[in-house]
Amino acid sequence: MIVLARRLVQLVAVVLAATFLTFTAMNTLGDPLFNVVGFVAAVDCDAVEAGEIEDISGQGGTSLGDCAVVAEAREEFHLNEPLPIRYGRWVGDLIRGDFGTSFKNRMPVSTVLADRLPKSLLLMGMAEVFAVALSVPWALAAAYRANRAMDRASTIGAFGMLALPNFALGVILFYFFVVKWQIFPSRFEDDNLAVRLKSLVLPALTLGMPLAATYFRLLRTDLITTLQEDFVVMAKAKGLSNRWIMFRHALRPSMFSLVTVFGLNTAALIGGALIVEQIFSIPGLGRALVEASIRDDYPVVLGATVVIATGFVAINFAVDLVYSYLDPRVRRES
Amino acid sequence: MDTAVDPAVAARRPWIRRFVAKMPWVTRFCASWLIVIVAAAVFADLIPGLADPNYQGFLFGDGATNEGPGLSHFLGTDNNSRDILARIVYGARVSLTVALAAVFMGVVFGGFFGSLVGFVRGKTDSTVMAVVDVILAFPGLVLLLTVVTLLGRRDLVVIATVIGFLSIPPYTRVARANALSISRREFVTAARAIGTKKRTILFREVIPNVLPTLLAYAMVNAAVIILLEGALAFLGLSVEPPTSSWGTMVNASRVDLQINVWPAIWPSLALVFTVYSLNNVGDWLRRLRSVRSAAL
Repeated sequence: MIVLARRLVQLVAVVLAATFLTFTAMNTLGDPLFNVVGFVAAVDCDAVEAGEIEDISGQGGTSLGDCAVVAEAREEFHLNEPLPIRYGRWVGDLIRGDFGTSFKNRMPVSTVLADRLPKSLLLMGMAEVFAVALSVPWALAAAYRANRAMDRASTIGAFGMLALPNFALGVILFYFFVVKWQIFPSRFEDDNLAVRLKSLVLPALTLGMPLAATYFRLLRTDLITTLQEDFVVMAKAKGLSNRWIMFRHALRPSMFSLVTVFGLNTAALIGGALIVEQIFSIPGLGRALVEASIRDDYPVVLGATVVIATGFVAINFAVDLVYSYLDPRVRRES
Repeated sequence: MDTAVDPAVAARRPWIRRFVAKMPWVTRFCASWLIVIVAAAVFADLIPGLADPNYQGFLFGDGATNEGPGLSHFLGTDNNSRDILARIVYGARVSLTVALAAVFMGVVFGGFFGSLVGFVRGKTDSTVMAVVDVILAFPGLVLLLTVVTLLGRRDLVVIATVIGFLSIPPYTRVARANALSISRREFVTAARAIGTKKRTILFREVIPNVLPTLLAYAMVNAAVIILLEGALAFLGLSVEPPTSSWGTMVNASRVDLQINVWPAIWPSLALVFTVYSLNNVGDWLRRLRSVRSAAL
């Protein structure tokens, strides 16, 4: 219980720190007003009102009407207030469950997140399942006969998978499975779970391949180290079968790096995967986040930051729990 | 084979030849590749016959776009009719610098902080890991945009520093995970029992045992970073064009991928060779020094 409470405090602290930094950064990047009203934001409205600048309505120039729009937008998004107050206001709204409104299309950020997040989560889940299912048996086989032909070939293969850029892999898969053989749909279809899963197979493969290569390398390295430990020698001396030693003795204590990087990647993929989402036309969080970052649409960026920060803290908590399962020696001496 | 040479004769050879004689042939090949690529990147301007990486021949009536490999351009030309070989050689500067910055900052800072907090645990651990989570949750793109806006420039130093900084948290996590487990092993307990100072245990027992895994992570991470730099270029956020880098080249090739795959294949191959060679040579260097076989 105490551990859980401490984690909650940590979660709040991390979310606040991350969003405050993001908020400050987004506001130094550009004037958010520009995104709300467009070029009119550049007009010196005080001068127009004072009559110093000529009012040329309807000629692409400035007009008093435009200035009314600017004033209205400033009022609506509270852009006149100093930065800390605006941040405080945003936090207050967040506590009440209000994520704010996107500058781009005035949609509530919560709607954007609710629309985009499930797709990114599903894609992340499928990619990770694929990566783990491929890499764990592969690493066991390679580490079992380290530095033999199969292991060396695997190493080259893994680096090949890492070096193959995911858009190239994506385009190749897309060409064969969608254009030529027409097995999978050409864009994300959202009718029911089966259809959703089917349209995410290729993107998940594209994302999963480099992940599988990474997991393979890490697990193989750790397995080889573990296999030189005394308890493995002991197990061999007892006459246990190789299969039993690999699965029951060596695998579990070798999974520290794998679990850690798995957690990092999973949390990062909550934020979506820009390029893969673009190739396969998936309306995921990655595209929303990048578009919003470039457009200074900070309510959306902040909303996504909240989700990603929560994800990181939650997943790292889970990962820490898994550590003590993997190796009982790690448990806190309390 | 050199291994059959009489040891007395071998000992009279200069050290460099003795060094090389111990290498398996694959490692010799890998070491040569690394030397060649680094030298080529550093001395690119002095290589005779190397084309200008930004010269667009088709504008001046010599050469075409998307040429296949041939005599005038060994590796062909890209979709702007620029010589691919020259762009790979000059691109190695950006790619290797960015990858090196990420790996160096990750291994040194991430490795140190991760090993430290995994070893001492307690409050230091939760504080450092909270900071790590903040950096991980902070959108990297926003950080890059902010730094570029504040500094008003987007050169190699800026990009490499930002990518290097963002590499620290993952390495910290990986180092910590391994330090947690290593700190509970017999040899650390033994060191504690004979009253070794904590600092000595950290540097003599924990960090050396965290390093192999960390370096294995660094190798895969280097490949990812080189491609990530290309993804940034795709968003118009990497080193300003027309400067080339392997990631940028791979990314720029996507436009004409159906017509010409070579501009994607060559830099990818350079990337595979480099990362594999680093791995192989690193593994061999470690095996020279350690009694237990290295796992890199």
